[in-house]
Amino acid sequence: MKRQYAVSLLVASLVVIALAAVAGSGRTDNDVPAPPTIGTVIDDFKLPDADGKEHSLKSLAGSKGAVVIFIATKCPVSNAYNERMEKLAQEYKAKGVNFIGINSNNTEPAAEVKSHATEKGLTFAILKDDGNKIADRLGATRTPEAYVLDASMKLVYHGRIDNSQKVEGITSEDLRDALNEMLAGKAVTKTGGAAFGCTIKRVS
Amino acid sequence: MALGAIAAQSQSSQAPSSKASDNRALAGAGSDITVVDLDGLKKFLQRDAKEAHPLLVNFWATWCDGCREEFPDLVKIDDDYRSKGLNFLSVTVDELEDKRLAVSFIQEMKAKMQVVLLNVPDKEPAIHAVDVNWDGALPATFLYDRAGNIVYRHFGKIKPEELRAIIDKQVTSDK
Repeated sequence: MKRQYAVSLLVASLVVIALAAVAGSGRTDNDVPAPPTIGTVIDDFKLPDADGKEHSLKSLAGSKGAVVIFIATKCPVSNAYNERMEKLAQEYKAKGVNFIGINSNNTEPAAEVKSHATEKGLTFAILKDDGNKIADRLGATRTPEAYVLDASMKLVYHGRIDNSQKVEGITSEDLRDALNEMLAGKAVTKTGGAAFGCTIKRVS
Repeated sequence: MALGAIAAQSQSSQAPSSKASDNRALAGAGSDITVVDLDGLKKFLQRDAKEAHPLLVNFWATWCDGCREEFPDLVKIDDDYRSKGLNFLSVTVDELEDKRLAVSFIQEMKAKMQVVLLNVPDKEPAIHAVDVNWDGALPATFLYDRAGNIVYRHFGKIKPEELRAIIDKQVTSDK
């Protein structure tokens, strides 16, 4: 009897702890799943590009890894990073890390994504995430928001590109630092970074 | 999340309140925007257990479509709940050189709540000072209870009825 009581008490305690954890999470209020923790291996997925051709994450990744970045056509913050993203993409493609853009905004159709990429000179692959399934899977909330995956698709960094929308204000290049450490075979020192950005416009 | 007392250094000629509980006294300043650094923001968020009221905090920017779209609803909430004991702090994260755009916007909105512009070289410490679970997505809205605990957080455009229902509970428990 005592044992049964103790088990019941333990279960009740765990439920309380679980509820407290949910209440303390910032993501639950908006029903956006929590992002995978650093070290999680990201399962492969497929999404179409702006022409409707499907690509898998693994097929687009480089030999040393990939950077998945949620981007937008209309978000001024994302647009402020177009040149920087393209420059980083070209630089790290040569080092075996491919950049993959994902547009999950339900307000920005594939045709707009295509014309925006052409207009802004974005040459890395950009996929259209209708229904924000991959944004949900990765717990992405804003644009731009970057995920660095190593060669085994393990998440080693999740967060901002750098600390400043304006180039002249950059003092912390978090994404670049993470990539350099990963490519050097080191553990990434700063595995995330917050920055103001536009909310991803999810389907309601 | 209770924020401790921190000496604030406002960068504006309009000095911030010496106590967060004075937010309500500052409400109505809506024709101008006070520029604050991280410590200044923390001081505005600081709760005084003796007098504090529930505090609604909304982060926005003029470049943020969702922020502009939800603003009229927030102005109505401020109008409806101020007399019931709700303090409201509106924080724009526009760049300092865009302050004029932000001032024009709040004037156009006929906003009466306290509005501050967060002017910091790196936004991350400010984002985490508000909520460690927030990654910076805008708009973002937080409701603190009298003790300084976050009882509501919403990223993206608010749902006015949902927010009003939660504010109702807080202002009722405030009496």
